[in-house]
Amino acid sequence: MSWWLDFSSNAFIVAFYLYCASFICFAIAVGGKRWSNRKPEDHTNRWGKIGFAAAVIGWIAHLTFFFTRWYGGGHIPTSNMYEFMTFLGMAIMFAFIVVHLIYRNMLLGAFALPLVIIIIAYASVFPSEVQPLIPALNNYWLKIHVTTAATGEAFFAVGFAAALMQLIRVVDFTRTDKAGKRAQFWTEFSLFVIIVLIGFLVAVFGFRGAGYESAFKQEVVKIDDNGVATSEIKEVKYSLPPIVAPYNSETVSFQSFLGMKEPAFESPSWLNGVNAGRKLNTVIWSVISGLVLYGVLRLIARKKLTAVINPHLADIDPEDLEEISYRAIAIGFPIFTLGALIFAMIWAEIAWSRFWGWDPKEVWALVTFLFYSAYLHLRLSRGWQGTRSAWLAVIGFLVVMFTLVGVNLVIAGLHSYAGV
Amino acid sequence: MFQNTKCECGHQNPVGTVLCESCGKPLIEELLTDENAPLEMRYDGVARRSQKSNPHIVDRIWNFFSSVKIAVYLIVITLLGAALGTIFQQESTLINLTERSEFAAYYKEEHGTLGVIYHALGLSRTYESWWFITLLVMIGTSLVVCSLDRVLPLYRALSKQQIRKHLQFITRQQVVYSGDMQGDNEAWITEFGKQLKRKHYRIWQEDGALLAEKNRFSRWGPYINHIGLIIFLLAVLGRGIPAWHMDQYLALYEGETRQIPGTNYYVKNEKFTVDYYPENELANNQKGTKVVKLYETKARLFECTDVCDDPIQEPVLTEVKQHDIRVNSAMSYKGLKLYQNSFQERVRFISVHPTLMDVATGKPIGSFDLLMDDPIEKYEVGPYTLKLNDYYPDFGLDEQNRPMTKTREPNNPAFVFRIQGPNLQAKGEIYIYFPMPSEKSKFYQKLLNDSFKQRGDSQGVFSIQVENPIVDGKMNNIKYSEYTTYLNIRMDKAMPYIWVGAAISMIGLIMGFYWQHRRIWLRIDEGKLSLGGHTNKNSFGLRADVAWALGRTGIEVLPKSLDNRRNVR
Ligand code: HEM
Repeated sequence: MSWWLDFSSNAFIVAFYLYCASFICFAIAVGGKRWSNRKPEDHTNRWGKIGFAAAVIGWIAHLTFFFTRWYGGGHIPTSNMYEFMTFLGMAIMFAFIVVHLIYRNMLLGAFALPLVIIIIAYASVFPSEVQPLIPALNNYWLKIHVTTAATGEAFFAVGFAAALMQLIRVVDFTRTDKAGKRAQFWTEFSLFVIIVLIGFLVAVFGFRGAGYESAFKQEVVKIDDNGVATSEIKEVKYSLPPIVAPYNSETVSFQSFLGMKEPAFESPSWLNGVNAGRKLNTVIWSVISGLVLYGVLRLIARKKLTAVINPHLADIDPEDLEEISYRAIAIGFPIFTLGALIFAMIWAEIAWSRFWGWDPKEVWALVTFLFYSAYLHLRLSRGWQGTRSAWLAVIGFLVVMFTLVGVNLVIAGLHSYAGV
Repeated sequence: MFQNTKCECGHQNPVGTVLCESCGKPLIEELLTDENAPLEMRYDGVARRSQKSNPHIVDRIWNFFSSVKIAVYLIVITLLGAALGTIFQQESTLINLTERSEFAAYYKEEHGTLGVIYHALGLSRTYESWWFITLLVMIGTSLVVCSLDRVLPLYRALSKQQIRKHLQFITRQQVVYSGDMQGDNEAWITEFGKQLKRKHYRIWQEDGALLAEKNRFSRWGPYINHIGLIIFLLAVLGRGIPAWHMDQYLALYEGETRQIPGTNYYVKNEKFTVDYYPENELANNQKGTKVVKLYETKARLFECTDVCDDPIQEPVLTEVKQHDIRVNSAMSYKGLKLYQNSFQERVRFISVHPTLMDVATGKPIGSFDLLMDDPIEKYEVGPYTLKLNDYYPDFGLDEQNRPMTKTREPNNPAFVFRIQGPNLQAKGEIYIYFPMPSEKSKFYQKLLNDSFKQRGDSQGVFSIQVENPIVDGKMNNIKYSEYTTYLNIRMDKAMPYIWVGAAISMIGLIMGFYWQHRRIWLRIDEGKLSLGGHTNKNSFGLRADVAWALGRTGIEVLPKSLDNRRNVR
């Protein structure tokens, strides 16, 4: 059995590198148009085709990872955060390939692939071991519900990538009026958020590679129904240097970092639980490393990042991007409805005896559904097209990501997987 | 504002019509001024039901609910409300609290001031709140009104389309082509139609004009989706009907049979099992923890067939179903569903099989079965009769040191027997028996039996005890339950409607999103071809169709060049 699992991890690594290679090809397709003496369209086509080929082979490796892990682990690998996020990455690649085959837009990959790379890198933050299924997950609806929901979300992700591209394409740096400035700021800000995510990954993998660890303990006093107080000691391990310690905690071990010998401060009391401090610490580290990364990029570029990318997109029609974004969402919406709401309800009826229980994860799936239906209505009946609709596609994907990741990290419910 | 609703083609249109229902000529002033702007083709420009000239109060309400703008507001407010409800736990998830004050205290303790505000605003009961339910009802109303308002006019417009459209109607579509024609125009049109047929268009031809259309059914997708949503919402509201809905919990120890309150059914828990994964099947980061593999209640369902409401007599039960209830595998019988909810590890006696001994000889006289729940009054053992004088399921002493029972649970049962038979006093002898093998109960048993002897209530000739209580490390002659299982018992008569609504909605979505309604109009006037195309989505696909068919009939164009929106901008 474990031979299959080893094989599976290797396939995953191959997929990851192929995706990176594919991204580089797409980036060359976008950025290097004026490098050689060839016609820009020929250049774009050529590198776009190589990039797409790498993406498809990478996806096959990714599929291999998935099915060998399924075989080796004995159940479909969608049962914890690592498995779910890798699956989502695979689904986004599928959606990307479908949309690419419809529109043959060679540049979409330049935005879709980094998204996939970030998502599967994020997956790797979580423990990747195969865990046995708990009874609640042991049902074939697990396969059906999770896979369809993720596929729907994957199309939203592609819609997001195209919308972001469209926004960067249409930013007008010559405008100095308020609306123009606002558009410039928020487009840049979207890129910044993505860089913070990358910062998070850099921080986590950097310190993990260096073997960093500190630990804290927190005493939790609970008063039971009979008024008897029991205290429990909870320990938490930090894999990033603790800038913030958990509220009311004691240091168990502290590995110093850059002369930092103790946490700078304690997390506020309203952040409940021993893990809240660690999560806050992770957020702070992500922002710091994101800022550093962003600063370095800005120093190299000496202008806004949107202004760096914008000229390379000049020969794409924003209308094409808008159409791709809308189409991806239109393809995804029924799949999402089926997977994240209807199949979810069927499974909830089977496993938890009620088809709907207002569990935070369920509510957020509904919020996502309502958000995209608002998007569709606004587009269809109120003529919200162009940048307005692109912004909605961007925000919609934020809602999707909050549903998938944020809910698990911030709100705990029945669905909660072990979170980082 | 005065509006002439009679078109130059002679068709009389209803008030509010944007494009003539018959020939498609723009009718309202604003549309006539800019001759190049693409036409707004929503609902083919027909008048909606709500666009009446002098609105009445009913019309105003109708107008309110028929507006998509209002619908979007409703959807967005519902979305925000639903999201607010997830900030803190909802009251319904705190199953061990009941009182309002308890909830208030919980939110204050857990979340401080924010928690107090959250609770005071009622956000801790968002999904049961009047405003949330009102929002759902308003969305439902809006769905009905909106759909009725549009679907009928749209149906009318699509079922009586004219083939030759007004020139402006054609040249102001989102997809257009115009060019000069040579040769036989009719033959070209026929050939063009043939090509489009191969793309599954339906073709209508009139001298010098053509209409090609495909996938009209996809236009009904959104309405079918909305009908599904309405059914779904009605079913959700229907769950509020008490007779349609039951939701309760039943705790059963192993071997126990209980009536499901409010029904004629009884469930028995034969055995409860909880299995953990063996260490070698766990992932490294789980080693040393207990990970559950299986929860299972072996259950039987009975229906009462006779003497069901008689408090004295035992009801007559007939078994109707047997099922191993697990998470993900409920017992289901005639709409009644029994789910595995949770369990508690709690040892509880079911029965013992003690022996009456002769103290003098140390010989057993005979044994009998003693149930902890509702023990019978009289036992015949050998030549003796044991009458149950008193039973304390959970033995204790009150302030005056008199025996009493603390609860109805057999946590530490004590039985007081009056034994009658040969060579005993006529009134019999009194003995107390504690089946629990603990030090404390053995101590009480001896103490109390000694005091009976002192009082002359017994001569101490008998003892009651379980023989060989442990055989091969297992309890013998004692039946006990290790676990209490909690079953969730549900009935939901609205469920079929929920599924039907969801299925209809899904069909509508698929119809609306995976097919697109495409139409192409063309006319040739004095050797000049004008072609216009419209689709409700995916104009990319429509342009490809048009360019393909033009290409096959000798007119080479790039699909992109057909895009009217872009050409104007
Ligand atoms: C949560 C509730 C709703 C959902 C999920 C929903 C979903 C949809 C979907 C998926 C479409 C098709 C959009 C497209 O083709 O791009 C649509 C169209 C539409 N919806 Fe809704 N809808 C909802 C509520 C409403 C309400 C309350 C109204 C009432 C004003 C409404 C009015 C419309 C209209 C007028 C259309 C256009 C139909 C056409 O293409 O002719 N919807 N809706």
